[in-house]
Amino acid sequence: MPPRQRKVLEFVLDNLVWFMLLVVLAIFSATIPNYFQPGIFANVIEQSSVLGVMSIGLALVIIAGHMDLSVESVAALSAMATGILFASSGIGMGITLTPGWLVVPVSLVIGLAVGGLIGALNGYLVIKIKMNAFIVTLSSYIWVRGLVVAASGGRSAQNLAPDLRFLGIQRFLGIPLTAYIAIACFIGFSFMMAKTRFGRHLIMIGGNEAAAFRAGIKVDKVLMIAFVLSGAIAALAGWILAIRTSGATANLGTGLLFNAFAAVVIGGVSLKGGVGALPGVYAGVLLLSSINTAINLMGLPAHYTQVIHGLLVLAAVLLDTLKQTIRKRLA
Amino acid sequence: MTEPLLVLDNITKNYGAVQALQGVSFSIAKGEVIALLGDNGAGKSTLVKIISGGLEASSGSMMFEGKEFRPKSPSQAKAAGIETVYQDLSLCTNVDVVANFFMGRELTKSIMGIKVLDEKRMEEQVAKAMANAGTRIPSLRSKVEHLSGGQRQAIELNRFVHWGGKLVLLDEPFAALGVEQTKRGLEMIRQVAAQGIGVVIITHIMQQAFQVADRMVVIRQGVVAGDVPRKQTNADAVIGMITGETLAGTGPGMGAGQ
Repeated sequence: MPPRQRKVLEFVLDNLVWFMLLVVLAIFSATIPNYFQPGIFANVIEQSSVLGVMSIGLALVIIAGHMDLSVESVAALSAMATGILFASSGIGMGITLTPGWLVVPVSLVIGLAVGGLIGALNGYLVIKIKMNAFIVTLSSYIWVRGLVVAASGGRSAQNLAPDLRFLGIQRFLGIPLTAYIAIACFIGFSFMMAKTRFGRHLIMIGGNEAAAFRAGIKVDKVLMIAFVLSGAIAALAGWILAIRTSGATANLGTGLLFNAFAAVVIGGVSLKGGVGALPGVYAGVLLLSSINTAINLMGLPAHYTQVIHGLLVLAAVLLDTLKQTIRKRLA
Repeated sequence: MTEPLLVLDNITKNYGAVQALQGVSFSIAKGEVIALLGDNGAGKSTLVKIISGGLEASSGSMMFEGKEFRPKSPSQAKAAGIETVYQDLSLCTNVDVVANFFMGRELTKSIMGIKVLDEKRMEEQVAKAMANAGTRIPSLRSKVEHLSGGQRQAIELNRFVHWGGKLVLLDEPFAALGVEQTKRGLEMIRQVAAQGIGVVIITHIMQQAFQVADRMVVIRQGVVAGDVPRKQTNADAVIGMITGETLAGTGPGMGAGQ
C-alpha cells in the first residue's frame, strides 16, 4: 500500500468516531425535519456538557487499566453540596457571600475537594490495600449515593444563587457558559494525555503496568493522581449539573454512569486499558446526545433512547474489533 | 578490571519458608562481563531482581561503587545507573517504538512554562540508536504490538545500549532472536563493556556465555557453586558445576574469585 494511502487510512481509523458523528449528523439533517439548524447543534453541545465532563474522569481511570464506578454518585454529592449550601429554597441554606460572585469559586472548590477526597479514598484502597477497583468503586457508588440521600433527607434544594445560575443561562454564540467549561476540560485533558509525561505514563501503565514499573515510572503515584482526578472531575460534572438544574435532588444524575460508560466505549477507549484518547470520547458524548435530540425531535417515546444507546455500545465494540484487524494488516 | 563496581555479600531471599537464595556473594568489576549460569529455579532471576530493585533481599548487603546499596524500587536502581533487560519483555505494546525507548525518562521541552513531550527530538535519537545497532524497524511510530518478537527484543537491547548507565543486567536477552541478531547482540554487549560498563548476563546457552563473558558465576540451589574466569574453564566443567557433579568453584560465602 502506498504510504500516502496508508496515512489516510490510519487517520480515518484513529478518528473513526468523529466520522461516525458526521455521518449520523448528516443523516439526521437530511431525514428529520428541522434538525439542521444552529439551535439544534447548540442544544446537542449543551446537552453533552455534564456527561462530557464526567466521561473524561472515567476515561482517565479506564485508560490507566482501572475502573471508577463512583463517578455518578460523586457528581450527585457535589451537586447536593452546592445545592444545600447555596440554594435558597427547599433544604437549601441559601448562604450568600459578598461580593456575590464569590459563590462561584467557593462552591467549585468545595465540590472539587469532596470529589477529590472520595477519589483519593478509592485510589488508596485500590493501590495501597490492593483491592479490586471494580468492587471498591462499586461500594463508593452505593455509599456516596446513600450519603446524598441521607444529607438531603430525600428532599431537594432549589433556587441556586443567581451568580451560579448565570453560568448556565448566559450564552456565548448560542451556547451556555457551562458547555464551554466542558469543552475547555476536553481540550485541557486531551493535551495532558497526548503531550505530557503524566499522560504518557498513564497510557503505558494501562498497557503494561509491570513494564512501566520496571522502567522506573512511579506507578502508584500516577494511578493515585488518576483516581483523584476522576473524583474531582466527576465533582465538576455534578457542579455543572446543579447549575443547569438550579439546585439538586436526591436522585439527581441517576443513570449517568451507564451513559458515561457508553460514551467512553463508543469513543474508542478499551476497557482492557491502555487504549483510547479523549477527543474520541467527546465525539462519543456528542454522538449520544445528537441521537437523543433526534429522538426528541421525531417525537418518539424517550424509552427508545436506552435501546439505541445499548445497540450503539455493541456497534462500537464491534467496530473496534474490526479496526484492530485492519490495523494488523497495516503493520 | 580490579576496581569492583558491585559487590554482593551473602545475599539471601526467602519466600515464606522457601529459601530462593541462601547467601550469594560475588563481585563485578567495571567493564567486566559476567555470565550468570544455573539450572531452572537456581535463583538467577531472583538475584537479578534484587540488584535491579524489583525485589528486596531478606538479608545480606550490596556495595555499589563503594557505597552501601539497597534499592527499594527499579527507579532507585535506575537512578544509581543500573539498567535491566528482563526475560519476559518489558515493553508497553500499546504505544509506539519511540515511547517505549524513552519509557520513564521522556524528553520534554517547555512551552509557556508547561513541560511538553519533545517527540521530534526523541524520534531522532531513537532513529540514530537503531541505525547504529543495525536494527531495521519499518516505522518508529508503529505500535509495538504490531512488531515481531525479534523486533521487540531488538528494541529492548538497543534501549539498554543507548542508556548504558554503569551496570547492565540481562535476563536471557536473546531468547526470541535469530542467529544474526544474536550475534549482533553479543557484539553490542562487548561494546558496552568496552565503555567500562559492567554486564551481568543470564543465559542457558553455554556457547553464548563462552563467547561473551569474562567470568562464569554458577548459581546452584541458591548459592554460588562456581566463580571462575572463562579462560580457566570449559563448557563441560561449567555444566558440571550447574548440575552439581563437580565442585570446581570457590563455593558459597567465599566472595569473588579473582
